[in-house]
Amino acid sequence: MTALWISTLLLWVAVAVLAVVVFALVRQIGVLHQRIAPVGALMIGGGPKIGESAPVLELEDLAGAALRIGGESASRRSTLLFFLSPTCPVCESLLPAIRAAQRSERHWLDFVLASDGELSAQRRFVAEHELGGFAYVVSTALGLAYQVGKLPYAVLIDEHGTLRSRGLVNTREHLESLFEAQERGIATIQDWARDRVDLTEGGNA
Amino acid sequence: MDPVVGHVCRGVLALVFLSAVAHKLRAPRDFLATLRGYGLVPDFAAPAAAVLLVGAELAVGAGLLAPATQRAAALGALALLGLYCASIAINLLRGRREIDCGCGGPGARQPLSAWLVLRNGCLALAALAALVPSSGRPLEALDWFTIATAAAVLYVQYLSSNLLLAYRPRTRALA
Repeated sequence: MTALWISTLLLWVAVAVLAVVVFALVRQIGVLHQRIAPVGALMIGGGPKIGESAPVLELEDLAGAALRIGGESASRRSTLLFFLSPTCPVCESLLPAIRAAQRSERHWLDFVLASDGELSAQRRFVAEHELGGFAYVVSTALGLAYQVGKLPYAVLIDEHGTLRSRGLVNTREHLESLFEAQERGIATIQDWARDRVDLTEGGNA
Repeated sequence: MDPVVGHVCRGVLALVFLSAVAHKLRAPRDFLATLRGYGLVPDFAAPAAAVLLVGAELAVGAGLLAPATQRAAALGALALLGLYCASIAINLLRGRREIDCGCGGPGARQPLSAWLVLRNGCLALAALAALVPSSGRPLEALDWFTIATAAAVLYVQYLSSNLLLAYRPRTRALA
């Protein structure tokens, strides 16, 4: 009987230690994922493709000013469409990053915030977060044109009205990856990863 | 069935449900967003549904620990797991895999997959085992040790499985 007792006790201790070790290893995988994979805005869904002309839409912003999205830009500036919603906590957490980006990229980029839904809620959201410095569009058509399914979502259109990059944006890094995409001429992080894989495979052959 | 099995099942389920309550209360807005993401409750009813769910999980988690309420709580756990299973299955059938499952708390975004249905099935199996009448064998000290360690180990493994499921899209992207 004592032998069984001791063996069970020791086995349980061993199992418990193993469970903790497995858990720690799994956590390590998460850390490795963060380190090895460059974060980038994930492209999902259909809609216009990168490199194609963005759909031209004539819209009005919250203040009532006319706003054209897509098409050749008269002022030779690119446009970043940022899709958000007052009910999306992640969008809210990204607003400081958006403000910072608007300051740092102002020499070539216009920011347009796009949302959908009840106007009074949008006005309250704009007032609450002091978004007066942005063009703020409330339009279902705009979201449909780019088939935005998840928020926050960003679309980058260059000065010729060509779609440069787009994707789901969950962090500041995702947002910055869109500017990087414009500078390097690579549409998405997935393309970048694929090209790299091609290169290494080519090297091995 | 031996009473140890029932106790272990109740212990794990209580840990799972109470930790679920804790991470929901820590980030109530994220939970609300997750709930809306499922697209099963009308928008205006979502806050009420959220309160209801958290209340139910708390009642089940705490109820499993008290001998007087453990049967009712095990039935409640079965009902909740069934509800979650159905919600996940409906969204899988709708093709909306990319919404957050809400299983691992706000830190670990986890897309929907068939694995979650399987995992919930295992938890439901534990709830069923907790309902089977026990043989009434008197428990000795070693039994209590077995119950405590087994429940803790299984719970840690549940956490590991949550993390692994959360990493799956990223692992796939690398492959």
